[in-house]
Amino acid sequence: MMTIPKSTSGARILTAAAAVSIAAMALTACGGPGTGSAGPSVEAGSGEGTINVWAVDGQAAENDALKKIISSFESSQSKIKVNLKLFPSDQYTKAVNSAAPEDLPDVLDFDGPTLASFVYNGKMAPLKGSVSEETLANQTDSIKAQNTVDNAVYGVGMMNAGLALWGNKKLLDAAGVTYPTTPEKAWTAEEFTGILGKLAAVVPGGKPLDLSEQYGFANEWGTCCSAGPVIWSGGGTMLKDNKASGALDSDANVKSLTTFASWKKYTDPNADGLAFTNGRVALSWVGHWTYPTYKALGKELVSIPLPNFGKGTKTASGTFAWGMGATTKNGTAAGKFLDFLMSDQSVRTYTDANGAPPATKTALAVSALYGPGKQLQLLGDQLSKACGTEDQINDSCVSVTRPVTAGYPIVTDQVGKAEAAIYAGKDAKEALSAAARAIDQDFADNDGYKK
Amino acid sequence: MTTQTQQIQAPTVPARRRSSASLTGHRFAGPLFASPALLGLAIFLVAPFVLALVLSFYRVQLNSPRPARFIGFEQYTRLFTDPDLSAAFGHALLNNFTFALIVVPVQTVLALALAVLVNRKLRGMVIFRTFIFMPLVFPLALTAVIWRLIYSRGDEGLLNAILGLSSGGALQSHDWLGDPSTALGSIIVMSIWQSVSFQMIIVLAALQSVPAELYEAASLDRANKWAQFINVTVPGIRNTLIFVALITTIFSFRLFDQVYLLSRSGSVDRGSTETVMTQIINTGFDNNNVGQAAAMTVIFMLIITVIAIIQRAAARQRGGV
Repeated sequence: MMTIPKSTSGARILTAAAAVSIAAMALTACGGPGTGSAGPSVEAGSGEGTINVWAVDGQAAENDALKKIISSFESSQSKIKVNLKLFPSDQYTKAVNSAAPEDLPDVLDFDGPTLASFVYNGKMAPLKGSVSEETLANQTDSIKAQNTVDNAVYGVGMMNAGLALWGNKKLLDAAGVTYPTTPEKAWTAEEFTGILGKLAAVVPGGKPLDLSEQYGFANEWGTCCSAGPVIWSGGGTMLKDNKASGALDSDANVKSLTTFASWKKYTDPNADGLAFTNGRVALSWVGHWTYPTYKALGKELVSIPLPNFGKGTKTASGTFAWGMGATTKNGTAAGKFLDFLMSDQSVRTYTDANGAPPATKTALAVSALYGPGKQLQLLGDQLSKACGTEDQINDSCVSVTRPVTAGYPIVTDQVGKAEAAIYAGKDAKEALSAAARAIDQDFADNDGYKK
Repeated sequence: MTTQTQQIQAPTVPARRRSSASLTGHRFAGPLFASPALLGLAIFLVAPFVLALVLSFYRVQLNSPRPARFIGFEQYTRLFTDPDLSAAFGHALLNNFTFALIVVPVQTVLALALAVLVNRKLRGMVIFRTFIFMPLVFPLALTAVIWRLIYSRGDEGLLNAILGLSSGGALQSHDWLGDPSTALGSIIVMSIWQSVSFQMIIVLAALQSVPAELYEAASLDRANKWAQFINVTVPGIRNTLIFVALITTIFSFRLFDQVYLLSRSGSVDRGSTETVMTQIINTGFDNNNVGQAAAMTVIFMLIITVIAIIQRAAARQRGGV
């Protein structure tokens, strides 16, 4: 009897090893040597025929909006047809990663931080020449910063993303707290700590802050939207000259993140995701995407800039945008389609569907939510004050683009992991230094992810 | 469960077949019948492991235009000499061993206790059994959501609320998953809750196969219930208990989903609950560092092999089959 289970024990481990290595071989074979180094070879083509489009299968409203835009594109002219293919969101980046450049469609959707790695792997084509100058000039600075790699623009975006502290005015008033409405007047971190103390007295559980813990810090949310703004606002960066040591583990970052972790005692874990709408907390640190839920508070809902850790309030920006496959044979038609996607009408249709801030200048100016004098004007303002990437941060800009590097996967993994550890009580210097060493090791192994 | 019993009976049957085959002269029958299984083993077990071994000598980055580079034993030397990596890997191994050391005895004893309980012939026992078996039926991804609410820090956490209420507010709220000292313990509790019923069913089947005459004979000898349990029940299901302990050990070292699902809640220090499996996945597919992950897999495989050999020897000494 015993011999069989014993061999099973070895077998199970073997199975695990097998799964990992088979997947590894399959993936390396697809994205492996030879396929990626060809570089873009766009042909302008005839400007007519069918173009293939890949996009993320998003919320139902987003998909409907996209299909509506495509059908109005097809009826606006007769020469170009669009063949749209939607991929589940958790599989999308993998699908693009594992496709050889020549298998990619003419036009594709991509998430901001993945662009650098797609470009590095020769999967994307620069848009100059295919997309019109007006379209490129109409892109807001914050989305342009995300879509630019090595000084060439590879993408155009309809929407953007932004963060804020959402406030419950009733609770703020009850505690006698006045709040800033413009980025310039953002609370300093010390002021914020004092305010949390005041608010703790008026909320039922004594924990007045929601930091969106339910998303998990040890992943992309942590890096982009939690640790990112804290680091940038404190005058630090994640990378400097392609190196994390001396940047990520700087004293400024240690100080900022330690302050951030000190707010844990005021923070509702929000495991049910209802802390803000149920009135358990007065302040919620989260992105624009919760607006459709949060607007249930009506007039009591206010948006407040994130705390200032020394170098002005900062928010992350960037989200899905559109680009061209590196080997498209129909560049002119693809460019025309992208021009149409970026028209005010299309952008309005799309952002009305998902509530995101528009990423084109003309659409943002007339937005019913983010435009001047509207309820989310603060988020619109923040996006128009773009810093570009983290090495260009100054005191007055607000929206920062995540590091544009093909090594982003290791950066986001390590920064998020370090933030979660610091938040759980680990020494910040120790956690950040370990993260910096891991990032630098990975960059060194890959020759700095340089072409 | 069923596949296990089939495997268990397997060795006696082919032995008879083989002798009859050679008698009738079908020399190729044996290899021929074995070939589908052997082929499967070769494709799904041997080849991947050999590949992992090969990959561990290269620097391979997932989805990179750079060709794989041969670097000899560097991935292994790093794993043992790089202060960060060796500490993380060592800690993950330690977590695995701690988990196994606690879960194997506790879960086996608990499974036995539960099996004895539900083996009574009482009215409504079916309902009772169903309830005990339920955690195994629900997908873990689903129950993990509930467990996150249970372990949630702050007063809204179900566990904290119950403890606070029953102690009259004397016990302070605790951050079960966020505090490194209780994180692994929390995962152990959830893990036992989730899988003890599986072991219970196996033990239950064994209990029901212990002949009733033995109990009758024992009671004629005036053995009380406890003496009957020690001298009749336990020896009667001995092999099953060893089997259950082995299976639990294997599960303990594969520990992945519980950790992966629970530690995704915000305030968790990932390092405090990392197991070797979660670390391998993280290295290979989040950091895209396939070479390093392959080296970890190979070392882990060697460690498991050693444990399996020791366990097997120990079970043999104690008279196991």
